Amino acid sequence: MAGQSSAVSSRTGNNPFLRGVAALSTLAGWCSAAMIVAAVSITCQMIFVRFVLNHSTVWQTEAVVYLAIGATLVGLPYVQRLRGHVNVDLIPLALSKTARYYMYLLTMGLSIAIVAIVLFYGYEHWHLAYERNWKSDTIWAVRLWIPYLSIPVGFGLFLLQLIADLVAVLLKIDAPFGLEDV
Amino acid sequence: GATELRLSHQWSNKDIRNQVAQIVADEVAAADVDLNIKIFGSKSLFKPREQYRPLSRGQLDMTVLPLSYAGGQQPAFNLTLMPGLVKNHDHAARLSNSPYMKALEKKMAEDDVMVLVHGYLAGGFVGKDRCITKPSDIDGLQTRAAGKAFEQMLAGANASITSMASSEIYNAMQTGILNAANTSSSSFVSYRIYEQAACYTPATEDVALWFMYQPLLMNKSTFEGLNAEQQEALLAASAKAETFYLEEAKKQDAASVEVFEKAGVEIAEMTPEDFAEWRALAQETSYKAFVEDVPDGQALLDMALAVE
Amino acid sequence: MDPILLGGIVAIATIMVLFSGVSVALGLLIVSTGFLLIFDGLRSLELIPEILFGKLDNFALLSIPMFIIMGSSIASTRAGADLYEALERWLTRVPGGLVVSNLGACALFAAMSGSSPATCAAIGKMGIPEMRKRGYPDGVAAGSIAAGGTLGILIPPSVTMIVYGIATETSIGRLFLAGVLPGLLLVMLFMLWSLYSTWKSGDKALLSAGNYTWKEKFEILPRVLPFLGIIIGVLYAMYGGIATPSETAAVGALLCLLIAMVIYKLWNPKDLWVVLRDSTKESVMIMFIIAAAGVFSYMLSSLFITQAIAEWIGTLDVNRWVLMGFVMLFLLVAGFFLPPVAVILMAAPILLPIITTAGFDPIWFAVVLTINMEIGLISPPVGLNLYVINGIAPDISLKTILKGSLPFVACMVIAIILLCFFPGIATWLPDFVMGEAV
Ligand code: NA
Ligand code: NA
Repeated sequence: MAGQSSAVSSRTGNNPFLRGVAALSTLAGWCSAAMIVAAVSITCQMIFVRFVLNHSTVWQTEAVVYLAIGATLVGLPYVQRLRGHVNVDLIPLALSKTARYYMYLLTMGLSIAIVAIVLFYGYEHWHLAYERNWKSDTIWAVRLWIPYLSIPVGFGLFLLQLIADLVAVLLKIDAPFGLEDV
Repeated sequence: GATELRLSHQWSNKDIRNQVAQIVADEVAAADVDLNIKIFGSKSLFKPREQYRPLSRGQLDMTVLPLSYAGGQQPAFNLTLMPGLVKNHDHAARLSNSPYMKALEKKMAEDDVMVLVHGYLAGGFVGKDRCITKPSDIDGLQTRAAGKAFEQMLAGANASITSMASSEIYNAMQTGILNAANTSSSSFVSYRIYEQAACYTPATEDVALWFMYQPLLMNKSTFEGLNAEQQEALLAASAKAETFYLEEAKKQDAASVEVFEKAGVEIAEMTPEDFAEWRALAQETSYKAFVEDVPDGQALLDMALAVE
Repeated sequence: MDPILLGGIVAIATIMVLFSGVSVALGLLIVSTGFLLIFDGLRSLELIPEILFGKLDNFALLSIPMFIIMGSSIASTRAGADLYEALERWLTRVPGGLVVSNLGACALFAAMSGSSPATCAAIGKMGIPEMRKRGYPDGVAAGSIAAGGTLGILIPPSVTMIVYGIATETSIGRLFLAGVLPGLLLVMLFMLWSLYSTWKSGDKALLSAGNYTWKEKFEILPRVLPFLGIIIGVLYAMYGGIATPSETAAVGALLCLLIAMVIYKLWNPKDLWVVLRDSTKESVMIMFIIAAAGVFSYMLSSLFITQAIAEWIGTLDVNRWVLMGFVMLFLLVAGFFLPPVAVILMAAPILLPIITTAGFDPIWFAVVLTINMEIGLISPPVGLNLYVINGIAPDISLKTILKGSLPFVACMVIAIILLCFFPGIATWLPDFVMGEAV
């Protein structure tokens, strides 16, 4: 069977690296959840200010959007740790144990590579926005490096968690694709 | 093979701004200089506000966009969506060929961007319950304005500013979240705002408050990388498109009035006195903020105001 | 290379990568990056972070985590059990009443939750054990909840409708309304089937289940009030001029959290964290797919594949219903494998121009597409609802669940056919409430 399982999370054994990364990812998860809660509260505040007080609401929409983006990107490592990114493992299921192991190395390698690419260019993008002091073109004029920071931070931690997952399989602490042999 | 240029914009294929792009593409193709322009319309490649950066880095060759979208990167561009700075379409055309525009083009050149086709489009106000012609009309109304400078001015008139996508205006007016809105004539028509408005204050031949500069831009290095023949063809095509753009821009306002009238919406007129009142307010609010925000803002503003 | 041929190659590569066990979002990124690198060069890679960020830079998306919070906060209380118990007490005289009341509870719960797995979990936690205890076959118990849960994305609010609305720029308020009557139609079909199958089984015990006094029947009604409060509150905020549909989600989330905390005593920070954690997990998963699908559609558009396919289909001289048949077959197959959000985001930019040129209503299409996606949710190999059932009742084999949900899949197909003959089922309510469509 493929996909998302609710109660599973990555295994760390007693390995200090794996436990450290897991702790970082969990911390990121708390931040992500906090940002979602903040977004909910700000939206409600906006409705109240507009509907009840009939005042201007110039910053709320933007703040809420950036919080939601932050929650998503910063939440990536935590969701990876919880095995929450839905996948389809038709091919691995059809493979023998050894072939599955190498398939895992291949897909994990590609995943790590792509996340590293996004991290690299995401950092550059953030740095450019910081250096040139880009702002959003609204009255609020947010310095864009602040929301853009979620790209290098989120993908950096995501990269760490993916590497930790790979290490866990290499050290035989976790099974490839989380598939146990039956 | 032929050089291929990619042009991205956010409008539908019936929109005047797509027609401008299409004229350039067709003319260049007809010139037979081994140059092809591929148009990616309707946001099919980039989101509207995400076009300027790829353009300036050469990942995109051409675009038609409101220059004020890049106001967060070049604050001087906010001047291209400033209330009361442009009086009418002919004045807009004179602005496009003034030292003021040369100064802005110098800023664009810093980002490796150049203008091929200049053009302004006008817009107006709609009110859900009443007409909006002078600042006191908008007092206390929940308003959605297009552009930062307009938000500042309307806030100065005691309007409550709320931000939402232009596609949400219709629903928001229908349910009463929004009492007034300000955007371009063509957006009013394409989002069918006439079904929800009681009154429309359009841009007229004499006065209009809302003008937005929406040029066809190109990456400068890419242009310079073309051979002389290709450059010439591109410039000739652009000149032709610019004439079309100006003529059609004038027709848009009248056409929008027709649509609103047909829908039974009251059409209000902004008098020169109303206009003066708005402009005085803008001087206190949006002009002031602009000058404070941009180091050489005062000089640029003076250059723009100097154009007769 | 010919864009159509290239499109075929991209399709095969995408299927291979997505089936390889890599997560859907990362798989889309891998495929996109590969093709961009080959055909557009290194310069396009620089754009990926901006596109990812840009796709998420949309206020309407915010309603996704919020509608998920609505569902999961209520699901973590005994509200689902109350709801279904109330329905059950009133429906005891009906043969197969317990299945019917579970389906009704799913439908009501769907009106509060934007996601299907949440709906499934909320009702299933109590419903499945209860049905099994009363002697209903495992297949019926699991299948009905799996199917009833899919209503979460058809009956508003709906996460997939939001994603469709964003991808196609159709009004989310209108889309929500369009799902109401088809949702009710589907519940009715589900119930009819349950009644018929119970009656046919001839099982005496099932035909006349427990007996409740009028006192018991009325006693439970106040426990359903919070639900009605939430549903009416959200509807009022959305259509009564307080907030836009995207903003309303926040009101709903707050209302549900408050009701869960005050009425159902969900005070313990640990329990609250579970609600938040599950919502965060599901939202981040969906939003990352949205962002990655943005890169994927940039790649398709940049290589001119989207445009070429749309043009090519435009030149085909086929009956519009034949075209629609193929579109639905494609959606159905895609839905077998991929989560609804991914299917919508990958297919919408290509399909929508085709659909509208052929004269189909985009609102109607959204409903048909959603029902197709519902089928995908309860079909192998990837069916989110199946995992949820598996989590609730691990001892029921997958085969049994599948067999039990098969008749409900048939109901969904019937609903799609009815919608093709009577498109008004979807379009009448939005037209009635919000005026004729654009
Ligand atoms: Na729902
Ligand atoms: Na499936």
